[in-house]
Amino acid sequence: MPTSSAKPSLPAVVAEAPLAPPHTGFGDTPIVLPGSVTGRSLTLVVAIMCFLVCLVAGVVYMVRQSADAWVRDIDSEVTVQVQPVGDAAAMDRAVAEVTAYLREQTGVTRVTPMPRDELNALVKPWLGQVANLSALPMPQLIAIEVDRDNPPDFALLGQALSAKFAEASLDDHRRWRRQIRAMTNSLAVGGLVVIILMTLATGAIIVAAARSAMASNREIIEVLHFVGAEEKFIVRQFEWHFLKLGVKAGVVGASCAALIFFVAPHIADFLGGGAATEAEVRRIVGSGSLDLPGYAILVVMVGVIAMLCQLTSRFGVRRILEAQNK
Amino acid sequence: MIRFDKVGLRYAENQQEILSDVSFVLQPGSFHFLTGASGAGKTTLLRLLFLSLRPTRGEAYMFGRNVTKLTLAQRAEMRQRIGIVFQDFLLLDHLTTWENVALPLRVRGGKPAVSSHDVTELLKWVGLSDKMMAYPSVLSGGEKQRAAIARAVVGRPEVLLADEPTGNVDPQMGRRLLRLFIELNRLGTSIVIATHDYQLMSQFPAFPRLQLENGRLHMYERADADLVR
Repeated sequence: MPTSSAKPSLPAVVAEAPLAPPHTGFGDTPIVLPGSVTGRSLTLVVAIMCFLVCLVAGVVYMVRQSADAWVRDIDSEVTVQVQPVGDAAAMDRAVAEVTAYLREQTGVTRVTPMPRDELNALVKPWLGQVANLSALPMPQLIAIEVDRDNPPDFALLGQALSAKFAEASLDDHRRWRRQIRAMTNSLAVGGLVVIILMTLATGAIIVAAARSAMASNREIIEVLHFVGAEEKFIVRQFEWHFLKLGVKAGVVGASCAALIFFVAPHIADFLGGGAATEAEVRRIVGSGSLDLPGYAILVVMVGVIAMLCQLTSRFGVRRILEAQNK
Repeated sequence: MIRFDKVGLRYAENQQEILSDVSFVLQPGSFHFLTGASGAGKTTLLRLLFLSLRPTRGEAYMFGRNVTKLTLAQRAEMRQRIGIVFQDFLLLDHLTTWENVALPLRVRGGKPAVSSHDVTELLKWVGLSDKMMAYPSVLSGGEKQRAAIARAVVGRPEVLLADEPTGNVDPQMGRRLLRLFIELNRLGTSIVIATHDYQLMSQFPAFPRLQLENGRLHMYERADADLVR
């Protein structure tokens, strides 16, 4: 320690000569320690929230994809119903005439009258065991496959068909399509509401955590004020930790959700559901696993959670600082 | 530079005023001792000057601005022009001495006029060359005080406020620190030193003295005028 009586030269800080330009930083140690801001339990809570958000987003995405596939299938096939007319021979004639007419229409790629056996099999579950099912007067169905790129105008086709054949009517499955759309839209809205609620809950948790971090770092904030730190500098010391927490927890939560989606197709099988159960699940949620855009949604969710952590902590810390200034 | 006009301060509505009708003007480059018995309001007045308290009445102007109407950003900007040494030092325990001293430069960002080399040089000058990488928990009271002083002066403040800056150091180091303050003052920094150290004041009798008695401020043109020991 220089305590000799000889006067040492004064430090440059109080010298009149120009000072040397800065050549290194002023320390890398975090001013606010991470452990005092974000603990493990907070990381776990945010990770669980992110996991649930990703799960909901993924399921909604899968159901929508599946519904789109259904609608595409429905759009590519329509049905013509021919009401019973006379005896079986007359009925066969009527079906043949309608089939011939339909084959001439533009936009129609294939016309297939449904065999009587298949038709009987369709109604059997409702009628039960009937001795002579073929003798019953039943409408005949004709399946029409349409050119997806150049589909016919179904309204016009239906009108023309009914005008030419009084016993024939076209069903373009519009009601089905509407129901599927309504179902998937309801599911999407429900999913969105759940995601918004979980996002709000996560935001509230972060604001509370920011408040607690401010309280436990009160002395540091006081010192930062004393040395002339601007509000944004103080806010940055906290929000940086929350951003890191958001990224870390988001990655963990999204990875767990991705794992669930990866193994989901095998879960029904693993639980002993067998091929039938798996087929039922597939009918509702498609393949049961996400495609690439689906996984991209999970990555986006990580970004959303990280940004949420950063922005809500910024908002929380700023509010507290402003309140302290009043 | 600093003007207080009939400033009063009380901590709560129904309490007695800690400071009453305090009026004074500090010109740029002035040097004042601030004295008074314990509880006379020295620390409170320093806190007012450092903008950590607001007057409950009267008007206070610093650097041409009314300090009662400052935003957070204006307050921070103004504090960058003021250096302060508190009695309880307020060093951050998880930062090294060097990092504590460099903190005012770090929070300012951009390209400060003072370099990290100057921080090192300043620490050497206050006798902490061998404690630069030490944490405050291992520093003695005197060492903490010198680190706090170094932190207060490193940003070349326009006003330096110090609360008993020589209270924990030996007389030789006390004189050395005073010399640092006087050099800063010579370069234009206004200095206010709150102290009980009459021996120190008597060594610099030409500086004016502000004396607080029962919350009221009296000004003496010389440090040794009418000193009641």
